[in-house]
Amino acid sequence: MEDLVRLESIVKVYPPVVAVDDVSVSFRRGEIHAVVGENGAGKSTLMKVLYGLVPRDAGRIFLEGEPVNFRGPEEAIARGIGMVHQEILLVREYTVWQNVVLGREPMRALGRMDEAEARRLVGEKIREFQLNLDPDAVVGDISVAARQKVEILKLLYRNVSVLILDEPTAVLAPQEVPQLFAELARLRDNGRTVIFISHRLDEVLALSDRITVMRRGRKIDTVQAAATGKEELARMMVGREVVFSSRRTPRTPGVVVCEIDNLSVRGAGGRERLTGVTLRVRAGEIVGVAGVEGNGQLELVEAIIGLGKPESGSIRVQGRDLTDEPILERRRLISFVPQDRGRMGASLGASIVENAIMTHHRLDSRFTRLAGLLLDLPFARRFAQRVREEFSVSMSSERDPFRSLSGGNQQKVILGRELLLDCPFVLLDQPTRGLDVGSIEYVHQQVLGIRDENRAVLLVSADLEELFLIADRIVVMHRGELVADLPVEQATMEQVGSLMLEGRARAS
Amino acid sequence: MTVLIGILNGMISGATPILLAALGGAFTYHAGMFNIAMEGMMLAGAFGGVMGSFFLHSWPAGILCAILASLVMALIFILFSVVLRTDEFVTGIALNLFAVGATTYLLRQTFHVKGVFAGPGIVAIPKVAIPLVDRIPLVGQILSGHNLLVYAAVLATLATSYLVFSTRFGLRLRAAGYNAACLDSSGVSTTRIRIHALLLCGVFCGLAGAFLSLGYVTLFAENMSAGRGWISLAAIILVSGNPWGIALISLIFGLFDGLGLLLQGSGIASQFTSMVPYIATLAALYVYSIRKKGRA
Amino acid sequence: MTRKILTGIAGILVALLIGALIMLAEGYRPLATYAALFQFSLFGLSPLATTLKNSVPLILTGLSASIAFASGPVNLGQPGQLAMGALAATLGGLFLHLPAGLEIPLLALLAMAGGALWSGLAALLRIAFAMSEFIVTLMLNMIADFFTAWIIAFPLLDPKAFSPMTRQIDRAGWLGEMGGFSGSVLFMAAAVAMSWFVFRRWRAGYEWRISGQNSLFARLGGCNIDRNFVSVMLFTGALAGLAGGLVVMGGPHRFLKGLGANYAWDGVMIAIVAGSGLIATLLYGLFFSAIQTGSLGMELITDVPSEIAQVLQAVLVLVIVAGREFVRTALDRAEARRQARERAA
Repeated sequence: MEDLVRLESIVKVYPPVVAVDDVSVSFRRGEIHAVVGENGAGKSTLMKVLYGLVPRDAGRIFLEGEPVNFRGPEEAIARGIGMVHQEILLVREYTVWQNVVLGREPMRALGRMDEAEARRLVGEKIREFQLNLDPDAVVGDISVAARQKVEILKLLYRNVSVLILDEPTAVLAPQEVPQLFAELARLRDNGRTVIFISHRLDEVLALSDRITVMRRGRKIDTVQAAATGKEELARMMVGREVVFSSRRTPRTPGVVVCEIDNLSVRGAGGRERLTGVTLRVRAGEIVGVAGVEGNGQLELVEAIIGLGKPESGSIRVQGRDLTDEPILERRRLISFVPQDRGRMGASLGASIVENAIMTHHRLDSRFTRLAGLLLDLPFARRFAQRVREEFSVSMSSERDPFRSLSGGNQQKVILGRELLLDCPFVLLDQPTRGLDVGSIEYVHQQVLGIRDENRAVLLVSADLEELFLIADRIVVMHRGELVADLPVEQATMEQVGSLMLEGRARAS
Repeated sequence: MTVLIGILNGMISGATPILLAALGGAFTYHAGMFNIAMEGMMLAGAFGGVMGSFFLHSWPAGILCAILASLVMALIFILFSVVLRTDEFVTGIALNLFAVGATTYLLRQTFHVKGVFAGPGIVAIPKVAIPLVDRIPLVGQILSGHNLLVYAAVLATLATSYLVFSTRFGLRLRAAGYNAACLDSSGVSTTRIRIHALLLCGVFCGLAGAFLSLGYVTLFAENMSAGRGWISLAAIILVSGNPWGIALISLIFGLFDGLGLLLQGSGIASQFTSMVPYIATLAALYVYSIRKKGRA
Repeated sequence: MTRKILTGIAGILVALLIGALIMLAEGYRPLATYAALFQFSLFGLSPLATTLKNSVPLILTGLSASIAFASGPVNLGQPGQLAMGALAATLGGLFLHLPAGLEIPLLALLAMAGGALWSGLAALLRIAFAMSEFIVTLMLNMIADFFTAWIIAFPLLDPKAFSPMTRQIDRAGWLGEMGGFSGSVLFMAAAVAMSWFVFRRWRAGYEWRISGQNSLFARLGGCNIDRNFVSVMLFTGALAGLAGGLVVMGGPHRFLKGLGANYAWDGVMIAIVAGSGLIATLLYGLFFSAIQTGSLGMELITDVPSEIAQVLQAVLVLVIVAGREFVRTALDRAEARRQARERAA
C-alpha cells in the first residue's frame, strides 16, 4: 500500500499562535486513518491546509507522488480530495439532490439545469452506497445524521478518493455511530481513503487502521490502532497521565431550588419545541440534561433565562415565579454560562474588564457611583483582578481585548463572572465545548465545587461522558419532551443513548 | 376617465425606474449582499445617459453610456467590497456620496451650469406604439405608447425571474445568499457569483438612470435620483427579492408618485405631495413588519 | 492605536495623491492648489476660526452617527434631525424674546429637542412595530426636507425675502464671536466632552457600547435592549438637532433653503472614516472642515472649482476605509510569514 497523500513539514501560523508546527504525515490508499488530539491541537487546521481552504505558510503536499498546491477547495475536489466539515455546510432551503449537484450540475440548453438527470444520478449514488436518503427531501427537514450522509454523498458524486471527516460523531447519538462506521468501512473496502478527525478515543480505536496523534500543533506519532490502547493515546494527546474516573462524591441533595412545571414552548413556524417539561433541581445537586442537539435543549435554556416566552407552564427559583419576569430580574437568582462563548457569553471586541462586569454592573451597587449613573472603574478593575486570581486566568492586562485570551481562559472569565454573582441556581450550557483537556478538568472541578457549596446546577451537555462523570441525576430530552429522569447510578450509556435517539429505553 | 388613464400611465412611468433598479438589486439580494448603492448607480446612469445622448446625438448611445457609467460605479463597489473586503454598507454609502459629488462636479465642468442641464441637444428615448394594441379603446391607451424602456422593464422582469429561478446561475446565486461557505466548498467561487450579480445590477441601474434623464424627462438635475434607490431597496426587502413582487410594489409606488403629481394641481402645497412616496414607503414597511411579527 | 493613526495618515496621503492626479488630469497645478487650500483653512487666526466654525455641524452630526453606529441603532436620519433642530431653534428665536443669557441656551435646548423628537419617532416605530430604523430614518429625512421647505415657503415666510426663508430670529439668539472664534464652537466643545463622558464613563454608555458590539450578550446580561435603543436614538438625534440649531444661531440667523444641505451626510461619512471612534470623529471632522473651508478660498486664487472638495472627500472615505481592511490583512499575513520563518530556522 503506497502513500496516496503525503504532507511534509507543514507550518501554519495564526499570529501569535502556531496552529500547525512542522507536521509530516502520510495517508495510504484504502485505509481509515484517524487524526486525534485535544481541542486546539491543530488537527482541523492541518486538514484545512490539505484541502486548500487555508493557505499554508511552509511545507509541501504530495498527491500520488506529485507535488500539489490547492488554492481552494475546488482544486482539491478536482483532484479527488473532499472534506465534510464539523458544521454541516448545506443549503437548508434546497433539496438533497440540489445540494449534491450544486457546483457540478448536469446541464441543458440556455443555461437551464437538467433536473431529471440530476435526480437520476443522485438516486444512483444513493443506491450504490446504500445511504438511505430521499433525493427530494428538503435538507432543512431531515435529521442531522441524514444531513451528514448528504455531505458524504456530495463528495461521492464527485468521485473523491480521499474523504476527510471533521468530528463526524459530535452531532450523532451513540446509536447512530455504528451505521456511520459501517458506511465508512464500506468506503475503505471500496479502495477509498478516509481521514477521520476526532478526540473520542473509543470510537477512533474501534474504527481506524492507523492513528496519528497531535498535540499543540506538533505531530507526536503515528501508530497502528491494533497496537495501542486508550491510556497510551491519551497520554500522547495530553502529555501526562490522565485520570478517567469520576471525582464526584455522592451527597444528599437539599431543598428544591428550581421548579419547572409543564413548560411548553412554540418555536418559529408554530412547531412545538418543548412539550410539558417538568423538572426539579435541588440545592447541592447537578442535574445533567442529555439529548441529541435540536431536541429542545436550547429552547429549555432560553425559556429559563428569559429569551423566549413560553406558551404555558412556569419557572420558579427559590419559590419566586420567574415565568413573566424580564431577564434582569431572573439574573438575580440565576447564573448563566451560555453555549456559544463568542455569540452569547461575551463581547470579543470589548476588554476583559468590560466583559467581567456584565450583569454585576446592574445588580451590585458597588460597581457604580452617583445612584447608578457612573461606572466605578477602579472597582471594576479590581473585580477583574479578583476573577483572575480566583479562577486562575492567564492574561496580561484586564484592559486587553477579550479575544486575546485563549478559549480556555475566556471560559474561565465567563465562569468567574457568573459564579461570583452568588446565585442559588446555576445554568450551564455546553460549558466545556471547544476546550482543551486541562481547561475541561478545571471547569469540572469548579462545577463540582459549587455543588458542594450547596448551589443547584442544571448542566446541559452533548457529551455523555461528561454527564456521567459529574452529574448526580440525568434527564433526557427527546423531541421536546423529558423522557427520563434517573439518578446517575441507575443509568447506563446504552440506555441513555437509546432514550436520546428513540425516546424510550430498549429492552435489553 | 381620462384622469384614470392618466393616473395609470403615470403609475407605469413612475414605477419603471424603481422596478429596473430593484430588479438589479434583487440579484445582489439573492446573492446575500447588502447592496445600498443602487441610488448612486442610478444617478451615475442618469448622468451618463445625458452625456452620451448629447455628445453622440443619439438615444441608443445615451442608453449605452448610461449603462457604462453605472457599471463604473458597480466596478468601484466590486473593488472595495469584494476585492478589498470593505464592509458593504460603508462602501454603499460612500459610493452614493461619491456619485452625487462626481456628477455635480462633472455637470458643472462639462456644461458650465449649476443645478440642471436641459439643453435642446439631448436626444430622448422614444415612445413606442404597439400596432393593433393601440387601437383597443381605453386599455390600448394604457398598454401602448409608453417609453421604450418601460417595455424593456417588463422584459427585464421576465428575464430576472428566469435567471434567478430556472438556471444554473440562479441556483448558485441563491446558494451564495443562503450559505456562501457551502457554495465555496462545492467548488463554485461565491466571489465570482457576487461580481456577476453586481455587474447585472449595474446594467439594470444604468437603464433606470437612462429612463430618468432620457425618458421620464429630458434633462439632468443634481441628485435627480431623489431617493428612488432607497425605495427600490425597500421594495426588494418587502418581497424578499421576488421579481414579480417587485413589479407589484413598484407599481404601487408609481401610483403614489403619480398621485403626488396629481394632487399638486389640487391646491395642496407641492411639498406635501412630494412627501407622498416616502410616507407610502413607511406605510408599506409598517404592513411588512406587522405581518412578519404576526408570523413569528 | 498606532495602527489606526498610521492607517489614517497613510489614507490621507494616498487620497491627496489621488486628488492631485485628478487635478493634473483636469489641467490644474496640485501643489499650488493644496497650498492655497491649507492657507485658507489653517494658516492664520481667521482661517482657523472659520474652519472651526464650519466644523461644528460636521463634528456634531459625525458624533451622532458614530455613537449610534457603535451602539447598534442604524441612525441615518441626521439630515432630517438637523433640519428639525434648526426649525425648532428658528421657531423659538422668532417667538420667544428673552435676554441673550437665557435665549441662547434655550434655543440650543429647543434644537436638541427638535432633533430628538425626529429621531425618537423612528425609535418609536422600531420598538412598537419592528420597522427597520435604517429605512425609517432615511424616509424621515426626505419628509423633514419637504416639511421644512413648506414651512419656510408659507407660514413662516419672510415677506421681504426674494427666496424661501424665514425672518431673522431675535437678536438675543444670535451667537456672537469671542476673540474671533464663534460661540458655536464652545457649544460643540461642550457637546463633544459630554458625549465622550456619557459614552465612556456612564453605565448607560457602557451598555450602549456592549449592545453595539454584541446585543445578544448584552441582553442575556440583563441590559434592557429596547430602552437603550430609544435612549441612543434620542441622544444622537439631539446631537444632530443641536448642529442644526447652531447653524441657524451662528450663521444666517434664519432658516433658509438648503440650510443643512450636505453637513449631515458629510457627518455620516466622517463617522464611517473614523470607524465610529469619538476622538477620530473629532479629528476627521476638523480635517474635512479644513478641506471644505480651504476649497472656497482656493477657488479664488486658482481656477480649481470648489466641488473638487466633494470628490476629494469621497475618495478619502473610500481609501481610508478600504485601507483599514487591507492594512490589517497585510500586517497579519506578514506576521504569519515571519513566525513561519522562525519555525523553519
